[in-house]
Amino acid sequence: MKPTLLLSLLWRDWRSGELSLLLSALVVAVTTVVTISLFVDRLQSALIAESSTVLGADRLISGSVPIPGSFTRAASDYGLLQSNTISFSSMVFAGNLNQLVAVKAVQKNYPLRGSIHTSQQAFGPVNIQTSGPERGEVWMDSRLFPALAIRPGDSVAVGEAEFVAQRAIIQEPGRGTSFMDLAPRLLMHIDDIDKTRVVQPGSRISYTVLLRGSEENLQKLHTQLSAELNTRFRWRSVRDSAPSIRSSLDRAENFLLLGGLLSVLLAGVAVALSARRYAFRHFDHVAILKTLGATPGQIQKGFIALLVVLGTIATVLGLLGGGLLHFVMLFALQSYLPGDLPAPGFGPFVLGVVTGFICLFSFALPPLFDLKEISPMRVIRRDLDVSQRSKILSYGCATVGSLTLLVWYSGSLKLTLYTLVGFASVMIVFGGLSLLLLRTSHVVGTRASSFVRLALANLQRHYKGTVVQILTFSIAIMMLLILILLRTALIEEWRSQVPENAPDHFVMNISTHDVTAVQQLLEKNTYYKGQLFPMTRGRVVRVNDISATQWENLSAGDGAGVPPLRGERNLSWTHELPLNNQVVAGQWWANDEPKHYVSVEESYALAAGLSLGDRLQVDIGGIFVSAVIRNIRKVNWESMQPNFFILFSPSTVTEISATYMTSFHLGKRGKQFLNELLNQYPTVSVLEIDRVIEQIQSIISRVSQAIELILVLVLASGSMVLIASIQAGSDERLREHALLRALGGSKGLIRGALLVEFMVLGFSAGFIATVGAELSVAVLQSQVFRLDSQLHPWIWLIGPLMGLITVTMVGMFGTRHLVATPPITVLRNL
Amino acid sequence: MSSPEQVAVCAIAVSKVVSTIEGDLSILDAVSLEINAGESVAIVGESGSGKTTLLGILAGLDIPSSGQVWFEGNDITAMNEEQRAQVRAASVGFVFQSFQLLDSLNALENVMLPGELRGDGAVRKEATAILKRVGLGNRITHYPRQLSGGEQQRVALARAFASKPSVLFADEPTGNLDTRTGEDIIDLLFEMNREFNTTLILVTHDKKLADRCDRSLVLSAGSLVFESRDVEPGSGGSINSVEQTGL
Ligand SMILES: Nc1ncnc2c1ncn2[C@@H]1O[C@H](COP(=O)(O)OP(=O)(O)O)[C@@H](O)[C@H]1O
Ligand SMILES: [Mg+2]
Repeated sequence: MKPTLLLSLLWRDWRSGELSLLLSALVVAVTTVVTISLFVDRLQSALIAESSTVLGADRLISGSVPIPGSFTRAASDYGLLQSNTISFSSMVFAGNLNQLVAVKAVQKNYPLRGSIHTSQQAFGPVNIQTSGPERGEVWMDSRLFPALAIRPGDSVAVGEAEFVAQRAIIQEPGRGTSFMDLAPRLLMHIDDIDKTRVVQPGSRISYTVLLRGSEENLQKLHTQLSAELNTRFRWRSVRDSAPSIRSSLDRAENFLLLGGLLSVLLAGVAVALSARRYAFRHFDHVAILKTLGATPGQIQKGFIALLVVLGTIATVLGLLGGGLLHFVMLFALQSYLPGDLPAPGFGPFVLGVVTGFICLFSFALPPLFDLKEISPMRVIRRDLDVSQRSKILSYGCATVGSLTLLVWYSGSLKLTLYTLVGFASVMIVFGGLSLLLLRTSHVVGTRASSFVRLALANLQRHYKGTVVQILTFSIAIMMLLILILLRTALIEEWRSQVPENAPDHFVMNISTHDVTAVQQLLEKNTYYKGQLFPMTRGRVVRVNDISATQWENLSAGDGAGVPPLRGERNLSWTHELPLNNQVVAGQWWANDEPKHYVSVEESYALAAGLSLGDRLQVDIGGIFVSAVIRNIRKVNWESMQPNFFILFSPSTVTEISATYMTSFHLGKRGKQFLNELLNQYPTVSVLEIDRVIEQIQSIISRVSQAIELILVLVLASGSMVLIASIQAGSDERLREHALLRALGGSKGLIRGALLVEFMVLGFSAGFIATVGAELSVAVLQSQVFRLDSQLHPWIWLIGPLMGLITVTMVGMFGTRHLVATPPITVLRNL
Repeated sequence: MSSPEQVAVCAIAVSKVVSTIEGDLSILDAVSLEINAGESVAIVGESGSGKTTLLGILAGLDIPSSGQVWFEGNDITAMNEEQRAQVRAASVGFVFQSFQLLDSLNALENVMLPGELRGDGAVRKEATAILKRVGLGNRITHYPRQLSGGEQQRVALARAFASKPSVLFADEPTGNLDTRTGEDIIDLLFEMNREFNTTLILVTHDKKLADRCDRSLVLSAGSLVFESRDVEPGSGGSINSVEQTGL
């Protein structure tokens, strides 16, 4: 066919409204994909940017020896910003008081991301600093000021150098959730290290270079350095450093991905439905064209060309629409998003274009291929149908198309597989269930009123079409339910991670005779639950028969994110396995176990190469304690609870004098209480984690917002499917109901029959969707999101109801003209 | 027997069997016939006797279960659908009982369609002229649903003759029209048939209409039972002797 003829046919089809549904389904598909991926793209970069403030940089390289010049030169070559820090333990002195501190010496440009929150007074109002301390000054954790009995502006000594303790640190980057092992922080300028003379050869020092730059360059650097990094240096991103944020991000990403995936599938179904209808309505046209001498080749080429033209128009519209919609979303979410969002990449647009065409060719082309097979005899005999071969082709194409889209879009075979298996099994069950439902409705139908009977008879007469329609509706509703359920589960999980009134402060170092008094004070002024942990500090000195140093050299395990074996750390002991802990090897000890046992955390054991039965000797302030590893624990680090790498059975440590630790929730009650507490009990130290909790909560609330938006988009494509599906069935309904009206059926009868028809369709679809959603969510939760799954009684009510209401509404709306127009118009137009 | 060049359409032992749920159904049973160029032939018979099926097979819209159909010297039963379509484009015109216009195209566009499909240029002028010829000069931009049945059939006639076919197939062209309009259409059909010197194969159950053709073939239960020569003067074409075929 000549292109001009094709274009004029296309134009004529468009003019007659034949193409609008197919085009809008395609536009919705492309728009949805572009919007979701653009939004996810920008949201991710926003989240990463925000999370980077937790780290103070985009990436860190750290090691126990100075970072080699080759690393920093390579980083410069990639145009990355760098900032060096050196960390070590030391003592800080003020008068005759002293405290152990974790010193971090930084350059002026520290931090590279985010800021340091400081105050002019301990626990005072926040002042935001975007660079580190000047030479000659130090900034210290609030709790150090009462502990040293000084105020900001007073002088302190570190080693041989005098400093002005200029500011109190309220919050600093890099203080993730592994707060338990940290002594209070002291920040100083990196150039002041020499004059303190505390850093000597052999001291335990950690060298870090902070990096900031584009994701691409960071990854290039990582690849380039990966060989050298392995042995002595660690490459860290926010994901390694803040486990609770990491898992939130991972889950959110998975969820958004799943949302995008489902909406693409839904859009595909809408495209397939409307293409099928378009093809169906063109059977006669094509037959006429064939009697006029159009060859099958011409027909096929013509429709491929038509699809290309249509696809191009839809893609352009979809790209524009998606771009626009994502700006609307950003605008709506303005207050929740950081101001300087990175510009979107090309990726989402390419994704949109490719998705549009894959959708088009796998969902829309096969039905149009049927047209080629139409016998010209159809001009004389209308019932001639399409051969079975092209139906197989059609389903095959759709399957391959969706698979391609799914794998490519999710980038995860696992997610795809679960989605598909869920899809397929649910479809099979759906088919059976629908037939069953159709049968039972027959029994009801025999004794129902006239329009109910008419409706049910209608549904049963076209039982194949009815099953298909119920399935289509079910899929749309099921996907919505899945997303709603997952969203709820995710948000609940996040909320429970930081429950209301969860402890936001820890008090450590409470001496035995202060315990009761401190507890009383806490009860009066805070939300206090009274949990008490004995605690002391110590270091592992021997493993079995060799020194810890030797042991460490012998068994260099996989130690990403885990402190070294020998470091001094907090130790505790308990009869009972603590909350959020789980024994993964060995056994927990009995309540009054006389033997000397120790329990170690899983990743720590792995990194240090420790296993059940190894004997640890620990130096606790000069007293040597020896115990056998009885079990290995998994610890939920995401819980903001005191967690310990090393726990003893109580009988092991009878000679040790402990101090105690407890936690309380201060909330908005005012930080002044901390000063009061510390003034009364100068030896205790307070650890604030309220800022960390706040940060996590803000990230979580943003992610929840995003998820709700995705839900709205999926809702849009779901409605598209409903409309397309009702449209697809409406030609036949139109003809039959027009005939009924011509035969004397009243408007009320027709309307009533339609209402019952859609209600039955909607209720069945909703019920089936509920079953499917429960199953899929159970699988997804346990396999992909790693959440506990349970039944959701409420969706068994909501699901069918939602189906009933939406299908009835969309259906009645979609067929309103059917009742309104005189029957003769309907009959003539067919 | 006529010489091969003179034969427009020739069927040799054409049978059609379709399979239905109740089993195989024989619609046409060894039908043989020969139609010469320029002839006008009526196929008559009761409803359900297989007339339409036969017409479809003769025109190459469908293929027989067995037997051959030769169209202007070519065995179209040996062709594929692609080639048959080309034959239709080049030499065949159709008029159907139910008009079969494309709803989305107006009268002019419908008439232009065969030419456009062949890729001819300047089809518009011819199409306009022929629409005037069928008396619709002032309705050329109207859509089928804006036209009466008689007017739609006129457009169909215009479309059929626009491509100057050598053979025109008509399946009960008046079946959907009232008597008066039907007669007008038939007059027009025969007038144009003469003007364009087209071979006409007309399916009808109307005796009066059949009588206006050169001869009639009678189908009964899928078999050709009788062939009659009509000796109306001035109808042109070659004249065959009456002969008995089939049973
Ligand atoms: N594809 C088919 N499947 C089943 N029956 C058919 C098919 N085609 C034609 N028939 C039947 O064959 C008979 C002849 O049909 P047709 O050629 O339309 O007769 P006519 O045009 O003479 O009325 C009819 O009984 C019709 O129902
Ligand atoms: Mg017929």
